[in-house]
Amino acid sequence: MRIRDLSYWLFLMPVLVALILVVIAPLLLGVYYSFTDWNGISANGFVGFENYTALFQDERFLDSLWFTTKFSIVSIVLINVIGLSLALLVTAKLKTNKIMRTIFFMPNLIGGLILGFIWQFIFTKAFDGIGSLFGIESLQGWLSTSSTGFWGLVILMSWQMSGYIMVIYIAYLEGVSKELIEAAEIDGANVFQRFRHIVFPLVAPAFTVSMFLTLSNTFKLYDQNLSLTGGGPYDSTQMVAMDIFRTAFSRYDMAYAQAKAIIFFIIVAVIALLQVYVNKKREVEM
Amino acid sequence: MKSKWQVGLIALFLVLAGFLAGCSSDKEKNESAGKKGGETKGEQVTIDIFQFKVEFKDQFEAIAKAYEAEHDGVKINITTVGGGEDYGAALRSKFASGNEPAIYNIGGPQDVADWKDKLADLSDTEAAGLALDGTLDGVTVDGKVLGLPFNQEGYGLIYNKNVFEKAGIDPTSIVDFASLEAAVKELDSKKDELGLEAVFALPGKEKWVTGLHLSNAFLAPEFDQNVLTAFDSKTVEFKYGDAFKKVLDLQNKYSVQPTVSLDYSKQVEELFSLQKVAIIQQGNWVYGSIAGIDEEFAKNGIGILPIPVEGYEGDRIPVGIPMYWGVNSNADEAVVKEAKAFLDWLYTSETGKEAVVSDFNFIPAYEGYDSSKISDPLSKDVYEYSEKGKTIGWTFMGYPTSWGENELGVQIQKYLSDEATWEEVIDASKKAWEAGRK
Repeated sequence: MRIRDLSYWLFLMPVLVALILVVIAPLLLGVYYSFTDWNGISANGFVGFENYTALFQDERFLDSLWFTTKFSIVSIVLINVIGLSLALLVTAKLKTNKIMRTIFFMPNLIGGLILGFIWQFIFTKAFDGIGSLFGIESLQGWLSTSSTGFWGLVILMSWQMSGYIMVIYIAYLEGVSKELIEAAEIDGANVFQRFRHIVFPLVAPAFTVSMFLTLSNTFKLYDQNLSLTGGGPYDSTQMVAMDIFRTAFSRYDMAYAQAKAIIFFIIVAVIALLQVYVNKKREVEM
Repeated sequence: MKSKWQVGLIALFLVLAGFLAGCSSDKEKNESAGKKGGETKGEQVTIDIFQFKVEFKDQFEAIAKAYEAEHDGVKINITTVGGGEDYGAALRSKFASGNEPAIYNIGGPQDVADWKDKLADLSDTEAAGLALDGTLDGVTVDGKVLGLPFNQEGYGLIYNKNVFEKAGIDPTSIVDFASLEAAVKELDSKKDELGLEAVFALPGKEKWVTGLHLSNAFLAPEFDQNVLTAFDSKTVEFKYGDAFKKVLDLQNKYSVQPTVSLDYSKQVEELFSLQKVAIIQQGNWVYGSIAGIDEEFAKNGIGILPIPVEGYEGDRIPVGIPMYWGVNSNADEAVVKEAKAFLDWLYTSETGKEAVVSDFNFIPAYEGYDSSKISDPLSKDVYEYSEKGKTIGWTFMGYPTSWGENELGVQIQKYLSDEATWEEVIDASKKAWEAGRK
């Protein structure tokens, strides 16, 4: 089929128009605005790379970037480990499989904002209550220091996303053929060896998908961050998305926020693509 | 091949039709809405009001009806956008659409600067003459009064009268920092028998309480209590920085811990309303929350103490105007005239006054009100302070954009977490102020 057929473009048109209007045009406009001194009402002139150079001296932005990175690394590892464990658990031959799958997946159905408030209650009230009842100091005063804020966010995120990632792993685990496992069993491989050498390489594509999803989700996190800690104490648990939002909508520094967003976009895109590329190479073709 | 063509054409046609339909309906709306601030048809004058206070929407609409009944030929349309919505953005789009309201709300000096060209001079109204001293500072530009105050709000240290009585402390004796500190120590030593968890509840999480409200008490004297001076100031000195630190330290030391994650609902509802703490720094707006939990306590058990500023005056409470009414100068002359008449009537006629105090539960910002009619004790206290002139102006609306919360408030959180010394807080905040004024 010839690619430059007119009907081909006609079919493509609706999607192209929509894509250009809602994705490409705003992106280009954003890039343009990041070089101006736009304040949301009017752009008075070009400032060149001023916004970008200021950004690399902006401690708040760098702190939030570092915090986001730390948070993402820890959460990605935890979510994938927990997700895979849950998937192994519910694909084992147990009677409660169906109900457990549902239960594990459920947190994912609750909106992030609500979840944040629920966990805020758990951390500040339930933890505190248990802590003062048994005299456990480390359970008291959660979310009032930056480290408890950090772990609070990690726990919240792992709790929410593990179930979702579990579903992806289940799909791949159930695709692993029984013959391979049986053959390995006959050859005398124990449970661990079977998992390490047969199952693990075969579910590698699931890692690519899960890592990509967890990475982009944790990096761009906003609602859970807002409702659980609100960036506090002293903005130490403020992630990049929140920093950008605040720069734009509470300081009305639109152009500067736009520059931050562009840098953020580049970082997320580069890491995500790199990650997919590396993982793809490791996958085993059946 | 031909059928493919046809399907493609249909798809394109549908998309285009969708766009065109969207555009055309917009256009129609714009045309029908091409009026400014209401209209004059024969004798009939329509005033469009665009306001932000959701809490008194029903009462306000009722009073507008009463006005219509008293005044033939005047019709009032009220639109309310507020609460969780962004009033400022809604107002901008309202003006951009050409459907300009006759009366709208403006906040601090930044709003006045933004809307200056679209605000009529209200200095000839009766209400402007009766507005309490200092309440018009923020909206007076070149001798023209561009806004009329909505109401007054005030904050200070709200205290539990029962606890003070049991501990044998006379609240009227608290007039400076030393007497406050003594009272707090006294309460702290007896907190077990008084059933208190702590003396204070300092909500470090609410950056507006520390960064805007508390700081205002200590920064206002430096700006002569004038919001415009603060708005024009290129620098901030923290002249009363030490006094600021003392009050903050006192609240922090004797507060329920940890303060940095303590929020508004814990402070007001959980701790103060249930009488677990004796003093909180809040304003008259908490009356509703407290009454919702313990009406008896709200009515008879609470009062406001001043925030002592050492080196300045210890017996004042910060009182200010959260919002102003502005009249659109672009509207027809008759509409402007009627709009002014309505605002005058609202704040100076007997019916209007009655509604302002009893129905709106406002603290009036004008002279000539009977303070005994104000129903809740906090508002009454605030009105009495302001009549006596024992107030500190609200200058935080003149801080650089978001400076109070996102700079100073954040620095104070750092200080409360022992991550920064007071000197570092002051230095960082000074720098941020200067950067915000560039």
